Amino acid sequence: MITKITKLLGVGALALGASFGTARAADTVKVGVLHSLSGTMAISETSLRDVLLFTFDEINAKGGVLGKKIEPVVVDGASNWPLFAEKAKQLLEQDKVAVTFGCWTSVSRKSVLPVYEKNNGLLFYPVQYEGEEESKNVAYTAEAVNQQATPAVDYYLAEGKKKFYLLGSDYVYPQTTNLVLLEYLLSKGVPLANIGGGFKKDESGKIISAGKYTPFGHTDYQQIVAEIKQFAASGDACVISTLNGDTNVPFFKEYAAAGLSAETCPVVSFSISEDEFRGLPAKQLVGQLGCWTYFQSINTPANKKFVADFQAWLKTTKTPGIVKEGRVTCSPMVLSYVGVYLWKAAVEKAGSFDVDKVRAAYQSGLSFDGPGGKVTTQKNMHVTKNVFIGETKADGQFKIVKSFDNVYGEPWLKGKFKAK
Amino acid sequence: MNFFYSALRLLAFTALALGSALAAADTARQTIARAALAEAPAQRIEIITLLIGSGDESIAPLLNAWKEDALFLYSAPAGSKIPVQLSGDKDEQGAQAATSVDTGQPILAPTGRPLRLIAADLTAVEHNGALRRAMKAVLDLLDLSTANVEKRVRAIQTIGSSQNVEKLPALQARAKIETAPAAQLALREAIALIQLKSPDTPTKLAALKELETLHTIASADPLKAALKEAETANHPSVANAARAALNAVDSHLMTVNFFGTLFRGLSLGSVLLVVALGLAITFGLMGVINMAHGEMIAVGAYTTYVVQNLFGEGMDLMIPFTRIGVHLPGAHLTGWVYQTYFIVAIPLSFLAAAVVGIGLERSVIRFLYRRPLESLLATWGVSLVLQQLFKLTFGSNNVQVSSPSYLSGNWTYQDIIFGWNRVFVIGFAAFIVVGVWLVLTKTPLGLLIRAVMQNRSMASCMGIRTERVNMLTFGLGSGLAGLAGAFLSQIGNVGPSMGQNYIVDCFMTVVVGGVGNIAGTVISALGIGLADQSLQQILLNPVLGKILVLVSIILFLQWRPAGIFVTRSRSLD
Repeated sequence: MITKITKLLGVGALALGASFGTARAADTVKVGVLHSLSGTMAISETSLRDVLLFTFDEINAKGGVLGKKIEPVVVDGASNWPLFAEKAKQLLEQDKVAVTFGCWTSVSRKSVLPVYEKNNGLLFYPVQYEGEEESKNVAYTAEAVNQQATPAVDYYLAEGKKKFYLLGSDYVYPQTTNLVLLEYLLSKGVPLANIGGGFKKDESGKIISAGKYTPFGHTDYQQIVAEIKQFAASGDACVISTLNGDTNVPFFKEYAAAGLSAETCPVVSFSISEDEFRGLPAKQLVGQLGCWTYFQSINTPANKKFVADFQAWLKTTKTPGIVKEGRVTCSPMVLSYVGVYLWKAAVEKAGSFDVDKVRAAYQSGLSFDGPGGKVTTQKNMHVTKNVFIGETKADGQFKIVKSFDNVYGEPWLKGKFKAK
Repeated sequence: MNFFYSALRLLAFTALALGSALAAADTARQTIARAALAEAPAQRIEIITLLIGSGDESIAPLLNAWKEDALFLYSAPAGSKIPVQLSGDKDEQGAQAATSVDTGQPILAPTGRPLRLIAADLTAVEHNGALRRAMKAVLDLLDLSTANVEKRVRAIQTIGSSQNVEKLPALQARAKIETAPAAQLALREAIALIQLKSPDTPTKLAALKELETLHTIASADPLKAALKEAETANHPSVANAARAALNAVDSHLMTVNFFGTLFRGLSLGSVLLVVALGLAITFGLMGVINMAHGEMIAVGAYTTYVVQNLFGEGMDLMIPFTRIGVHLPGAHLTGWVYQTYFIVAIPLSFLAAAVVGIGLERSVIRFLYRRPLESLLATWGVSLVLQQLFKLTFGSNNVQVSSPSYLSGNWTYQDIIFGWNRVFVIGFAAFIVVGVWLVLTKTPLGLLIRAVMQNRSMASCMGIRTERVNMLTFGLGSGLAGLAGAFLSQIGNVGPSMGQNYIVDCFMTVVVGGVGNIAGTVISALGIGLADQSLQQILLNPVLGKILVLVSIILFLQWRPAGIFVTRSRSLD
């Protein structure tokens, strides 16, 4: 009798296990998360991993995508660009993920790009970038230069600014952005003499680099600030900064010490979001400008719900290694969030996880109402979205002073603006 | 002559405009209320422009409130719209007291109590760039009579650089009664700049002459424009005068840049000196290749951070390797008492770093005095351990250290900026160099240190407790690094890996100066600082400047491998 029961139980358990196993394989879809969770970029990129896991949980709680639960495969790029390519290969060839969300720096994106093109994968890229790239294997939810830098110039011009000083960290994003900005300023009738920071020309006299550049980790900004002070002496001047990371601290401290302020000569920074602000001297930055397609301070029910849901998720999540205190939301995080929902919409429209079908659906112009307002996908794999300009406040948030609705994402800007 | 007529006409026009505004018998408040109620943006600008020249005290707060979205349209129960300003503290619902823009009196609710409104429920009165510029024009002229000299000078400069002929009478009126020297200068410049736009040649020439005497940096751009204009209009006398004025400005700029660069070089040299002096003792005198020197700097910087928070709001810390958080209560000081935190932090940074240094010496370095390579590797390891400890205790993000007000301003003489933090570091460097020199030459401890460093075994034979002297010397060197950290928190980042940014510069300074010689370190620090800043000034490129400095250091060391001063010491043999 007893043996019979145990046998029965055993068979039952086996059957249960088998059915569970098959159900698991059929009911989930693997999705890659490729960010640096260690190394120099970890401070910024870990936040994106967190918000992606939050988004997956949110979607899974509502039934998943096409009835399948999302199963994240999280890998660490470790701020090591060749390693990014290795990990991408692993995600595509070994794990066979349907889509990947990842990368922060342009160099990491450039390093994984061949892998995605070779395997016909799909990568969602969420961080502001320099443009001049358009791959059918990358969905750029990121801000293109005309969704961040040129609106900031428009804002300055409307404020009556006449002189523009370009300053940045020495790598591809600031260099390319400033060249586009130079063309844009000239097309708006700003004379070359009113653009500060210096130019580098090749033998034919063509400008190949505009603006002043400092290496990563530069600490001495005395000379540059003295130059800006003289540049701004005649009034109506402003600074456009693509300085990255912690070089902003010595720069803004020196800036304040030289008696320059947001009133006399405002600085708009493209690399300082709410997340970066946590390590910066708040007092010296008050009144300076930021320009993104999302700010945590956006006063809409959708954004309030997003911020509250994310905070609630942080409290309950059991994933190890997630910082729970003092968290904020910022543009790259929201663009990651929006990217997942746009992918979901594309999959549902295509009725399949097949990359080619999903891409076709994605390119047909899908919309999603995100925390930063409506975003719409475009034929060129970029997205149309709202752009906001904000003034920094002492509490690390931005007060929105200007917004541009539905700005079309245009990656190819070099040579687009013609001088008058 | 021509000019005077046009000026008179302008005056008459302004008077008329003022007259018409007055004829409408509006107070400034009523005008602003009318503008807020106007529908079309153009109409708003027109009404706001009427305020130009008025000195009414209510204008500035109202226009500023408007710009900051704190002016609202309130739909009264009767159906009319009333422009209101919300002020005072928010209560639990977020409501604030509402005052009428029109009268400046609180609005009464039907119950007779002052009305309280919630900002989020109301629509702010809109404004755009053009309207804000119109407001700015009103505020600029308002600022001409503000009591604050600095603000007044800024307002005068703004008007001057706009070169708007219509504003000339207001400036000239102000010039008659202005008493502050800074504002008088600014007025002379602004008037001359506006007169550059005059169609009358003698006026223009007089203005150019005036600008030549003043030779301000701000006049460079308008002068260039005037020169171009005169050249195209074929006006040689004006062009020559403009050229002369530009030359005066240029030579002034050269002087400014020369002395500015000198000062910046001196201050950068002082920063290098402050960070390298500790290493000049631990590496230079003792011969320990201390790769953890950067972390001693970080200890000093974090000490400053902790002291700042103890004076202020308090802070939370994690005890490494446990999951226990500690809350350190703050003293909640404000004002100048709070600002003294930095003065308190300086000696504490020295002590904290000295204690860590002594601990390091006792636990690791004392076993490695005769083995420089091992000491390099061991201290490198210690530096990694310390960095990780900072991360575990304070978090991996950089922390914020605010500069006290006495270190964040500047003194400007003849357009050369002397930042107080930079003046401070020069004095600070001089102070610790003199201090170290006194300790080494005038105290019994200094005598012992020099004896041990010259010949350890001989000193030991003479009955000196060399172990103890080694420990104290290492503590002194580390403490000096802590002092550097306290200062660096005022100009740069405070984070777990901040030491890494300075360690290469430190070794470079000490090696160039000549290992074992503190005077060499002083000279090499100042030399590197000056070379770096001059090259930046000449090449206008910070990256190229730094590369050239490094290349010249390599060449210099090829020529003099032992540095500027060669020291003969047995401990170095």
